[in-house]
Amino acid sequence: MTTEHRPPKLRSPGQTVVLPEEPAQPDGLGDAGQDGSRLRAALGLLHPRRTSAIYVFIAIFIIFSLWVPSTFLSGTTWKTLLDEQAITAIVAVGLIIPMAAGAFDLAVGSEVGFGVILVAWLLADKHVALIPGLALTLLAGALIGVMSGLLITRVRIDSFIATLGVSSILTAMTTAVSGGEEVLNLPIRFENLGSNQLLGLQYPVYYLIVVAAVAWYVLERTPIGRRIYATGGNIEAARLSGINTGRVIICTLIAGGVIAAAGGALLSASLDAGDPTVGPSYLLPVLSAAFLGSTQIKPGRFNVLGTVLAVYVLAAGVKGLELAGAPDWIPDLFNGLALLIAVGVAKTQRRNVHTSSIRRLVDRSLRRGGDTSAAASGGYQNS
Amino acid sequence: MPALLEIRDISKTFPGVRALDRVSMQVEPGEIVALLGQNGSGKSTLVKVLAGIHDPDPGGEITVHGSPLGQLRHAREHRLHFIHQDLGLIPTLTAVENLDISRPLARRALRPIRARQEMRAARALLREFGADFRLDIPVKELTAAQRTIVAIVRALDGWKRADNVLVLDEPTATLHGEEVNSLFDAVRRVTRDGAGVIFVSHRLEEVLMLADRMVVLRDGRVVADHARADTGHDGLARAIAGREVRGHRPRACERGEIVLKARSIAGDTVGSVGVDLCAGEITGITGLVGSGSEHLLGLLFGARPRLGGTVELGGTSLPAGRPWVSVARGMAFVPAERQRFGGVMSMTVQENLTLADLRTLRSKRGAIDAAAERREVVRWMEAVDLRPRAPALQLDLLSGGNQQKVVLAKCLRTRPSVLLMDEPTQGVDVGAKSGIHELVAEAADRGVGVLIASSDVKELAAICHRVLVLRSGRVGAECSGESLSEARLVSESLGARSESVYELETVGP
Repeated sequence: MTTEHRPPKLRSPGQTVVLPEEPAQPDGLGDAGQDGSRLRAALGLLHPRRTSAIYVFIAIFIIFSLWVPSTFLSGTTWKTLLDEQAITAIVAVGLIIPMAAGAFDLAVGSEVGFGVILVAWLLADKHVALIPGLALTLLAGALIGVMSGLLITRVRIDSFIATLGVSSILTAMTTAVSGGEEVLNLPIRFENLGSNQLLGLQYPVYYLIVVAAVAWYVLERTPIGRRIYATGGNIEAARLSGINTGRVIICTLIAGGVIAAAGGALLSASLDAGDPTVGPSYLLPVLSAAFLGSTQIKPGRFNVLGTVLAVYVLAAGVKGLELAGAPDWIPDLFNGLALLIAVGVAKTQRRNVHTSSIRRLVDRSLRRGGDTSAAASGGYQNS
Repeated sequence: MPALLEIRDISKTFPGVRALDRVSMQVEPGEIVALLGQNGSGKSTLVKVLAGIHDPDPGGEITVHGSPLGQLRHAREHRLHFIHQDLGLIPTLTAVENLDISRPLARRALRPIRARQEMRAARALLREFGADFRLDIPVKELTAAQRTIVAIVRALDGWKRADNVLVLDEPTATLHGEEVNSLFDAVRRVTRDGAGVIFVSHRLEEVLMLADRMVVLRDGRVVADHARADTGHDGLARAIAGREVRGHRPRACERGEIVLKARSIAGDTVGSVGVDLCAGEITGITGLVGSGSEHLLGLLFGARPRLGGTVELGGTSLPAGRPWVSVARGMAFVPAERQRFGGVMSMTVQENLTLADLRTLRSKRGAIDAAAERREVVRWMEAVDLRPRAPALQLDLLSGGNQQKVVLAKCLRTRPSVLLMDEPTQGVDVGAKSGIHELVAEAADRGVGVLIASSDVKELAAICHRVLVLRSGRVGAECSGESLSEARLVSESLGARSESVYELETVGP
């Protein structure tokens, strides 16, 4: 609420238009409208178009409760589900930050892998203390973000290609540091960060809650979040509105890099080893979760709640299938079909409502191919 | 005899917008009905409902010859034919090939094409429309009117009976003079055998020449439905705009202090241009394509790289290539092509409106104060007369004119001292256009220096204090006061009046 009161400007006889004065007057109506729209928003949230994943989750729950009630309905199943997926969800939340600004980060899996090895190497081989070791790992994540960001905004390589290249370099560095071997003998205090429990749940679940809450607040509620979504929605319009889009993109990649490195450190802690092979396998699940999440809660936008929801709904389905004794290849099939069906249904529903930012992002990457500069297509971009 | 097409009580509601509100109209056999209205009045929505792209809200009814439309569509019996503004032709194929691709493939998919026979058939079809042009060249090499005729012939091709309805959506937008006449002949020929035509347009003069009846939509409602004999230009214009349309020739400008001082600006097609802009002054920039007029504003704003020159805003110089600095210092830019550069189409009206300045809305916790934002957006929607006034609507659901109002409001909200506008009323209907002109005049009255680049010299002559005409990247002429007229601007653009290039640095009036 603004406290300043000014008399409203009256229309003078000759004038047909009156531009609003600053600041806006509190008029009491705003609050009533706000309540009304909140109610509508709450009801809208129950609409299957925005929360189909919850309905799918209910279906999964009913099916497996009937199919394998003894195992599926046990508390341990749900506890492990929460524990196991926490790191995936953290990394996925980190990924959608640059995605919301229109930058793909295909290096996210390698960033996790590099984080796993770097933290293990620092703590076990170099005997760096816990806090500085973690800080250096996060710093490395930030530097990776800066590198990708500069390649995209200064050198003007398309984010798809830039992060693909960065990904390969990180994979090489991961192998170079580890020599392809697992790094063992991690300090117990470090291991505890990944495996200790609070109220029956492992620490990473709480880290997820913190990371998701902060990311949600920043993306949904702050001017920075608005700028991030505007940059992803139409980078030219955002730039001409006075947004430093290059800086926005670099900052989102830094945030994504730090979160991915943190995810890697956690993974290392919970595995109690620096395994050089685990990171890259995170790429496809978190990308799927980001896209699936963009069909939920706020359709057409990469969003935190949708992404976390997507991670857990997919995991619940896979868990149920495992418990029901499905063969090894079934979970992959389930993940693939779930992604295609969810995005496919969202597309058909939105066909009348023109384009979504997601489609634009994909279109742009496909159209551009190797040529990355918007200036080539006559944009206002400076070269 | 029943009407060919009868639309009864059709409504269409989008989230937050009533695009059509109990619209009823009919088309009799042999009749040409013009559908008029501003951008955002519901014309396109009605056409899309007829085409089956949108489903109407339940309650109304559309019948063709007494049978419901949905049923007909299900029976694959096409009685309604559509030609959209872009015509839907494939530019690299010839007229004959374009006619062929819309025919069903059944039982001939792999048979050789009998070129000569096909050509003869196509020529015969086109002759019926009094058209005779080469059919063996790509349609992109035909004139716009010829292409439209190909599209009409293609739409009519394969009608089993004459009493169908042809819907033409803004077919004359890209045509001029003689071309319009030959198109109109073709349209009249369509109705000769009893077909009906719906002709969507916002060009009044043309419609008065062609149509038998005029239906005017405003805010989704039918506000007028007259036979041609019962109405005239002024009456229709009033019905379309909902108020008197008038020009806004500004009062003489008292010279305020100089807010923008640009010297020897170069880059893109601009060779060397200097401009001084005073507070409260509206200065126009025009010129032919390639004269520099389309690039000057981007260079001044710093959105495009400058090859030389300096820009001073309120006494301090502005860097090139960093638009956010320009915005922070009090410059705002309404770019041409709002879809590409003006607005973020995937975001809401509210989010677009406040995008350029979010600092004033920041609460203590660093979040956006939602209530304050809403209040401010409501006031701005009121000020620019946005339709509909729906802050949560995604921007690409608004009509072009209303999108432009949002972009303009976004710029004015930053309280700029200099407002740059590039083709501000391109693709904007009459009503929204005069609304935008009023807003510009109001902003100038409050001391904003306004620079408008436009190829619409009529607009510039009506709203500017003075106009700079660019030729070959330099200021070729400056018109103000008595010398500022549409005709003068055109002849100066062409360079007909003076051979010599004026002094490079031009100072205000």
